[in-house]
Amino acid sequence: MIELEGLTVRVGGFTLRDITLAVPAGGYALVIGPTGSGKTTLLEAVAGHQRPARGRIRLGGRDVTALAPEARGVGFVYQAYHLFPHLTVRQNIAYGLPRGDAADRRVRELADLLGIAPLLDRPIGRLSGGEQQRTALARALAPSPRILLLDEPFAAVDPATRHVLRRELRALHEHEGITTLQVTHDFDDAMRLGDHVAVLAEGAIAQQGRPEEVFRYPDSAFVARFVGSGNVLAGEVRLAGAGPEGAAPARFESGPLVLEVLAERAGPAHAVIRPEDILLSRTPIGATVRNRLVAVVERVERTGPVAHVHLDAGRPLVAAVTAETAGELALAPGDRVHLALKATAIRLV
Amino acid sequence: MSRPAWSRLAVTLLAALLVLFVLGPLLRLLADAGPAGLGEALRDREVRDAIALTVTTATAATALALLLGVPLAWLLARRPFPGRRLLQGILELPVVIPHPVAGIALLLFLGRQSPVGRALASAGLEVVSHVPGIVAAMLFVSAPILVSAAREAFRQVDPRLERVARTLGDTPWRAFRRVTLPLASRGILAGALLAWGRSVSEFGSIVILTYNPKVASVLIFDRFTAYGLPAAIPAAVLLLLLALALFALVRVVQPAGAE
Repeated sequence: MIELEGLTVRVGGFTLRDITLAVPAGGYALVIGPTGSGKTTLLEAVAGHQRPARGRIRLGGRDVTALAPEARGVGFVYQAYHLFPHLTVRQNIAYGLPRGDAADRRVRELADLLGIAPLLDRPIGRLSGGEQQRTALARALAPSPRILLLDEPFAAVDPATRHVLRRELRALHEHEGITTLQVTHDFDDAMRLGDHVAVLAEGAIAQQGRPEEVFRYPDSAFVARFVGSGNVLAGEVRLAGAGPEGAAPARFESGPLVLEVLAERAGPAHAVIRPEDILLSRTPIGATVRNRLVAVVERVERTGPVAHVHLDAGRPLVAAVTAETAGELALAPGDRVHLALKATAIRLV
Repeated sequence: MSRPAWSRLAVTLLAALLVLFVLGPLLRLLADAGPAGLGEALRDREVRDAIALTVTTATAATALALLLGVPLAWLLARRPFPGRRLLQGILELPVVIPHPVAGIALLLFLGRQSPVGRALASAGLEVVSHVPGIVAAMLFVSAPILVSAAREAFRQVDPRLERVARTLGDTPWRAFRRVTLPLASRGILAGALLAWGRSVSEFGSIVILTYNPKVASVLIFDRFTAYGLPAAIPAAVLLLLLALALFALVRVVQPAGAE
């Protein structure tokens, strides 16, 4: 179990502020954020390489805030692997193990599990990116740490290898039952690997929760944009009358685009609209839907079973339709189309 | 000939001139002594003693420089502290100080008139006009070379490698011994060899601090002034051969890419 409580870390001019995060025993959590948001610093603080200015770190229920890295029982894999260049693959994996038969067996077991047994006696200089990555993982796992910290483990491998490694990592996580905290800039990793995700923005957690939850209900424009929740429009909410308690019908104005929404208070806001919630038609759509708009098609992107239609509705919008629908509508740039959008599908943040 | 061909030729000619200027005197010296002169030098007891004294004092100075310089180099490479840049600059001063000036400064600092010299003498360590004076002069001029080479060698080692070693259970000292030191060792060794060579070639400060017993460079100067050029040549060749052997060793040891 990893518990971070109000963790503040200062490194150079950068500050990681008030991080509170919990990963249950055996869980897999991801911290995602753009470059420079403090992801590596966070991991280094958990491992004990950076001393926090404030806050507590508990690993497996034990307060380790003041402990040296070697007393924390964590495995660490850096983005660039940082294998020991003067040692072979075998010596790298065995580095954290006391010498003996048990060490040889553990090296063998991990090498088999990760498919690097044939490489054991190779020097580090002659490994591919994927092989280095597996060696670094095996080295971190060898002493059977209770906690595994991964810094962008897929950043330096090609997409095909990334796919395989993700699957292997998940399998390895199940096999070793190890509590894992990974940082990444790729929300895809979070959706495929994590039970829990925290979005880091400029040194602070902007939002955390289950990956689908964060993706579906982003609570800030930053998170919505970063995780790719869909259309993010900046604008202003105007309540229809003296608003009663709770959400009430209101108007959201983003330049020339005006939408009917449900809002609790007036003022500047962002509207997040998922592309699949926008209905497209050649003819006007059913009168029960509150928002009926007319837009001009700018371009259509087909990616497998889904087509993304880029529209100009006074503000740029992207709608997602099935490839089949896209074919039936025969949309071409410059075409005028009708849009329908439920007020409940517009999330104000 | 086209313009690029002309400029290539000009560059080659200029380069060749300097190479000749460096190699010419060395080859001339080797040719002048010949195998006979070399044999003569080796039979000369005074020459043999001077070479032996040079090698032992240079080795002692290098060992001292390693002992004192490696921890300092590590501090300079890894621990930011106030005045680090200034200290780094001060450590490089001996390189620009004329060697007789260094000798005079050392004489004032370590001589019987100074508290340091008196303290050393009462502890039984006579520096000036004794062997320790040679080692002191050599250490003064060669330590900066070793410190800057070792500092660069430590800097080349990614601190994250140490961090990985720490998470794998190493104490800071154990991580240093198992990761940082092995990775920096070639660079440190190359620096030690250069420092050793610098010690062997030192003359200006040694001649002021300890004229007798004579190291090789002092002996050669002594023979040249007392008996003329021919008397100085055999010992000079011997010292040159020693330097060439060292040069070859440095080429072998130096980490790839560190020129």
